[in-house]
Amino acid sequence: MNLRKPLILTIVATALVGSLAMNGLSASAASVPGVSSTEIVLGMQLPQTGGASPGYNKIDDAARAYFDYVNSKGGVNGRSIKLVAKDDTYKAGVTITTARELINNDKIFAFFGSVGTQPHLAVVKDINRRGIPDILVNSGYSGLYTDPKKYPNTFGGLGTYTVEAKILGKYLKEKYADKKIGILYQSDDFGRNALAGLTASGLKFEAKKTAASFVSGTHGSIGLATQIGQLKANGVEIVIIAAVSSATAVAYATASALAYKPTKWAVMSVGADSTTFQTILGARGVPLANSAALLAGTISASHIPAAGDADDEFVKAFKKINDDFNKGADKRWDFNVLHGMNIAYIATSALMGAGKDITRAKLVSYMEKNGAKLSNAAFAPLGYSASTHEAFTGFWLGEYDASLLLKPLDGKRVVYTTDSGSGAVTISNYTRPAIAADALPKVG
Amino acid sequence: MRNVNLKKLIATIGAAALISTGLVVAVAAPAQANTPVCVTDAKTGVITCDGKLSNGAAYRTMVPSNYDGTFFFWQHGVRPSYPYPSYTPPTGVEQMSPTSVNHKISTVKPMLQLGYGIAAYDCQNNNLRGWNTTECVEMFKELITITKARITIKKTVAYGGSMAGAILTPFIEKYPDLADAVGIEAGIAPSVSNTLKSGCDFLYIFSVFFDPTIKGCTVMGTAKGIAGHYAVLGDFAKVGALLTQWSVDYGSLPIAYPAALAPAGIPQRSALLLAGLMAGIPTKSGHMDGISTSATLVPEGSINSTVAILENAQDFLGTAYFGGQGVGEVVGAGFYDNTKTNFSALLADEDQGRFTVGLSGDDAVNAMLATLAAAPRITGNADAMAKLAALDKSKFDTTKPVVLLSNEADRLVLAGNSVLYVNKAKAVYETKLAAWEKKYAAATTSSEVSALLKSKPLWNTVSIYAITPDIYTKFTETGAPDLTAPVAISGVGHESFTKDQLMTWVRVLASSAKTGKVPSPTVLASVLSKVPYLNSDPDYQPSELKYQD
Repeated sequence: MNLRKPLILTIVATALVGSLAMNGLSASAASVPGVSSTEIVLGMQLPQTGGASPGYNKIDDAARAYFDYVNSKGGVNGRSIKLVAKDDTYKAGVTITTARELINNDKIFAFFGSVGTQPHLAVVKDINRRGIPDILVNSGYSGLYTDPKKYPNTFGGLGTYTVEAKILGKYLKEKYADKKIGILYQSDDFGRNALAGLTASGLKFEAKKTAASFVSGTHGSIGLATQIGQLKANGVEIVIIAAVSSATAVAYATASALAYKPTKWAVMSVGADSTTFQTILGARGVPLANSAALLAGTISASHIPAAGDADDEFVKAFKKINDDFNKGADKRWDFNVLHGMNIAYIATSALMGAGKDITRAKLVSYMEKNGAKLSNAAFAPLGYSASTHEAFTGFWLGEYDASLLLKPLDGKRVVYTTDSGSGAVTISNYTRPAIAADALPKVG
Repeated sequence: MRNVNLKKLIATIGAAALISTGLVVAVAAPAQANTPVCVTDAKTGVITCDGKLSNGAAYRTMVPSNYDGTFFFWQHGVRPSYPYPSYTPPTGVEQMSPTSVNHKISTVKPMLQLGYGIAAYDCQNNNLRGWNTTECVEMFKELITITKARITIKKTVAYGGSMAGAILTPFIEKYPDLADAVGIEAGIAPSVSNTLKSGCDFLYIFSVFFDPTIKGCTVMGTAKGIAGHYAVLGDFAKVGALLTQWSVDYGSLPIAYPAALAPAGIPQRSALLLAGLMAGIPTKSGHMDGISTSATLVPEGSINSTVAILENAQDFLGTAYFGGQGVGEVVGAGFYDNTKTNFSALLADEDQGRFTVGLSGDDAVNAMLATLAAAPRITGNADAMAKLAALDKSKFDTTKPVVLLSNEADRLVLAGNSVLYVNKAKAVYETKLAAWEKKYAAATTSSEVSALLKSKPLWNTVSIYAITPDIYTKFTETGAPDLTAPVAISGVGHESFTKDQLMTWVRVLASSAKTGKVPSPTVLASVLSKVPYLNSDPDYQPSELKYQD
């Protein structure tokens, strides 16, 4: 008769249960990295210092302010949220080190809101190999999200460049059908996405004539005179810029120096943040009034309200939380602060949804199955599903006024939606749910 | 930047014991090993014995007065058979235990002080060496056997470096009773074909973008002996000329060949970086941390990594050429075939994004990939390819403790070899475990269960990595990288570890030999965390090899 195996198994199982019971912890809390009975630890990598830091360096403080607000209201399922941010200076080699520190020293549960495509590409494979959730990444590169088999734990925190470019391209093609449209783009993943989206919208560009490329990172030292000169020489009237803010600023300054005045500038959103634009030109000695004048009239896009939209209920709620909880060195209200708070709001929703017995696998599963239902400040739903981890699926288009407030084109905000594939651009019929009176997400 | 001197370069490669042109011949059938001659050091009490194996190869044993019964047998890496300018192949026992080229240290004294006996030998036959791994397995067995007959040994550790991975792995599978633990330092995970193919790819890309007369791996094995040695040397000289040029101009000149690509104006350094990324060469080197920038010559991080690849390429290509010739003598010419290679797939998306500046952006990458796709390919010899695939074939099924030690940025035997070793061993272990669990679930009697519990498969392999400091590149006043500065304290170079790192590996091996098990992850992490620059993250993994056969 076989008595020994059941006896052994029983003893082991009893010992295991007893051990956990004595600790007073649930099984998940006892074994999940970064989760204790009182706390969930998240890690963010971003440039807090260095040339790429202006603007981005406010995202962590803004997100932390929202988490602190959540903590003041009892946290998520009884646990407070702790955000550990590391300065990778936007250097991919440093990002590898800071990721290692977050994993091994800070024992994070998940990466949250990490900034920048290039730095994140240096660590995304390893993060996924380790099974660590990597949520709300601040990169619009579709390659990080559209194949969940490749990066199963990585979820976007921006709409993809492709989605934005498709929407922007459709508008420009229809609005400026009689104008010559050209593009200045980074010859990398960002530019690759943007070109794909613009081309999908029906726009066509001719290399070395209406399409001018540059290698991001060289615009500071080499400049963009060749590229801007090329667009000018080819009579481009509408210039689309698919580049980071520092390059956008150089492009505008160069065009000004070359007396090139296109009919309209249209800038992809990550390159058009007014605070960053003015900070970078300010460092080059351009007075605020002059840099504001350069950017005014530019078309851009956004997935969330303009930071200056004082009537928006999310803006009002987040602005109040920023005033009360942001302990950062620069808590001035702007797009970066609004965006930082919004992704913290989404992260809070997801952590709540993953439940009290949260695990890394449960968070990923929850985001895939329910992420698209998580409301937030955006005017289009999140795209999360088992087949794609893209974030915001829609944008509205606007134009900067003289005070650098992005105002909806033609006076009315119209939200367009599409995907990173071959889907059509359509007007979104999504109605953004209202924010609760306590500014906390409601999940369930 | 240091001016690359070909003679010096070749001498360096030879000194690193990574050059191979030796003939592989069967071990002569000798009578028996000679009785060793022993002397006792009056001061230390260490007994040193020198003897000859049955084929005349030299060996040495050293036993301290406080000998505790643990004996370490050292298997050296590949050695050349022929001299090079400024370099003469060593004869006899050159290395008694692990040494560090970078740190100029020996572990002989500290190992003896710990009470360990040590032994080493010269794996040669008729003064010929090369990729003579099959011979080495048998000679290593003889060394252990005759030493055990002479000295009381309680626990035996078989350990070695570099090519030793392709000797010790089949050795322990063939002679499982001859060692209680196995240590592989900076070792090849057999077969060498994975690393060699990346080296051949690297040389092929050089021939496409820089010099169409470079023959690369097609020259290897076409002749044997000294003739083959000089044929390879001649081809290497062409590569050496390129490296020398880039050491002066940083590869800033545009690619001039092929003609269709020339108008693109892509700097040569971008093609060098592309080739390095495709081959999996580390993007950190002795002097380049992959991060630091200077205002003038290294304005961006991926330029730092490009110089790192240039610095690493000198020795990596030495391995490819002379190791490849050694292998070519065994398997025949034509072992490299790239008719089916998808070079685009060898460039990881992550690398293209991360190193976009160094690669000169998407437009340049697309132009270079299109050129590679259209370039004439090399058709190999089926017989030689099959022999290479079978070379040093191992099953990775030893149950003995195996402790691997690698540098994060080893420029010769890429750290991915350790990853591959662990993955292969893990696959075997998991298969065994699944079979065991099936039997366990089906067991119906207490005696069956009892027997099964004693035979449960044990995961008994662990990999230790030395990592680099975060920042260590120095710049001269001109903004150029200072390649005369001391190399990074850890994580770079081949078989180059600090004394603490090496002795920690040795202690872990001794402990594993005694218990029959590698330390638990918790214990190991605790041990490693006390040693500067030894990685204590149990989930750490360096870059994988491009080929995983």
